[in-house]
Amino acid sequence: MSPLKITAEDGATGPVLRIAGDLDHDTAPELRGLLPTIVLRPGQSLVLDLAAMPFCDSSGVSALIAAHNHALAAGAGIALVAVPANTLRILRIVGLDQVFAIHPDLATATRAG
Amino acid sequence: MSCTGPGPEEAGGGTAPAPTFADLLEDSPEDLYDNAPCGYLSTLMDGTIVKLNDTLLGWLGLERKAIVGQLRFTDLLPVGGRLYHETHFAPLLRMQGEISGVALELKRADGARLPVLVSGVVKYGSTGTPLLTRITVFDATDRRAYETELLRSRKAAEESARQARADRARLQQALAVLQQSLLPSTLPEIPGMEAAGYYHTASPDRLGGDFYDVFPLDDRRFAFFLGDVCGKGPEAAAVTSLTRYTLRAAALHDPDPVAALTTLNQVLHERYSGVDPRFCTAIFGVLEPSPDTGHVTVLLASGGHPPALVLRAAGTADFLHTPGGLLVGALPDPRFSAATTTLAPGDTLLLYTDGVIEARTGPDRSSLFGDEALRAFTAEHAGSARTVIAALSGLLSGLGDGLDDDTALLALGVPTPASTSASTSAPTPKNTP
Repeated sequence: MSPLKITAEDGATGPVLRIAGDLDHDTAPELRGLLPTIVLRPGQSLVLDLAAMPFCDSSGVSALIAAHNHALAAGAGIALVAVPANTLRILRIVGLDQVFAIHPDLATATRAG
Repeated sequence: MSCTGPGPEEAGGGTAPAPTFADLLEDSPEDLYDNAPCGYLSTLMDGTIVKLNDTLLGWLGLERKAIVGQLRFTDLLPVGGRLYHETHFAPLLRMQGEISGVALELKRADGARLPVLVSGVVKYGSTGTPLLTRITVFDATDRRAYETELLRSRKAAEESARQARADRARLQQALAVLQQSLLPSTLPEIPGMEAAGYYHTASPDRLGGDFYDVFPLDDRRFAFFLGDVCGKGPEAAAVTSLTRYTLRAAALHDPDPVAALTTLNQVLHERYSGVDPRFCTAIFGVLEPSPDTGHVTVLLASGGHPPALVLRAAGTADFLHTPGGLLVGALPDPRFSAATTTLAPGDTLLLYTDGVIEARTGPDRSSLFGDEALRAFTAEHAGSARTVIAALSGLLSGLGDGLDDDTALLALGVPTPASTSASTSAPTPKNTP
């Protein structure tokens, strides 16, 4: 169990959130609470870098969906970067791999935007 | 708890030869006797009062001449105290020669009762014959008030503990009723099929987020579903309840599995859209038995749920894949994927929630059970719906704290004609005469 740390920066295609630590029942509200402060313009893309997220449970998935809804409401897109294998497996089972754009690394994601 | 004044019948006895400072202050033994902060009285062995001090007279509110030689000690006591005196106080005093700190009440002239603590000592003559009894009486009003207060607090504590127990019992009853709304207490009889379920909740309030149900659609077909609501506790249970009844109602309106999941998605998305999205994964399906062949056609759809397993009579197990189906309730316009299979006699359809494939196994509880392990295990235990559920529940209860998530299992099987006989369906063959 590792504590959650979220850092935000501006990328070429819009805001980039680096999520470091477990995204679970206890920590997911942090990401959800942060979302309203993330300003997105139509056509931008919200990028979530998950390279340092070792664990994500159903509450974490719920927070990712909240991020998706936030981006959609702003007319923006959403992309996940460097999704760890165990989380990618969950996303495939629940069908969310079709909902999020998924990129191997940040460079690909921000170029693709 | 004893009064160490001079004996009553010696009160007029000799004076100290050399006055000390204390003697100057308490120069009169009579005064000390009569006005001591406790009551004194002396009785003959039959209880007749022969002497008592002013303090006690004042407490009783009686004239000395109305008492001395006229009353016995027991005449000063109310009925209950008299009884206690006869059964405890007097016998113990006779036996031991003394008794101390007995709580009694004295009757006052005005009818009021004075709570007292009574001690007594028998005075013996030189030949050892008991002559009289000396009794000291302490006013125990304050002490009694304190005891009453203690008693009152204890009663209040007992009352609130009783109330808490009653509240807990009522809450448990309410939870049990709610739990019933989440899960069927028994599965219905499906003609030509056997159904078995298993449910484990990791939540201490027993309100889980996993659910399943089986119910008739018409006189021929049955519908079933099994799923997992995101989250835990009462909030998840509320979604579970909404999900169960939505699916039941949707199926009666249109039993097509994709249509039922689509309706559920609309309901959940409308109810829980916004900052707190709630969703579930679920498999919904319809069983259509064919009376001619004894086979059952299964049509199902999955919304983001791990694929069902089909266990064949031959001892194989395979996933019935439903790729691409999206979890239910999260997004406004999802896609659900359908699949179909046919169950022949001896085949079983197994639905499960991810609690089972995420159960932690191994000596350090660090490795996950996994979907391939589940497939292999069920292939070994294929046979009937009850057999596979019994084997899996045995496996899961063996995991103990490795099973940290809710887990639900539902097996729907077509029995082989032979499996109705005990000798073939029992795990170990029995000797039949």
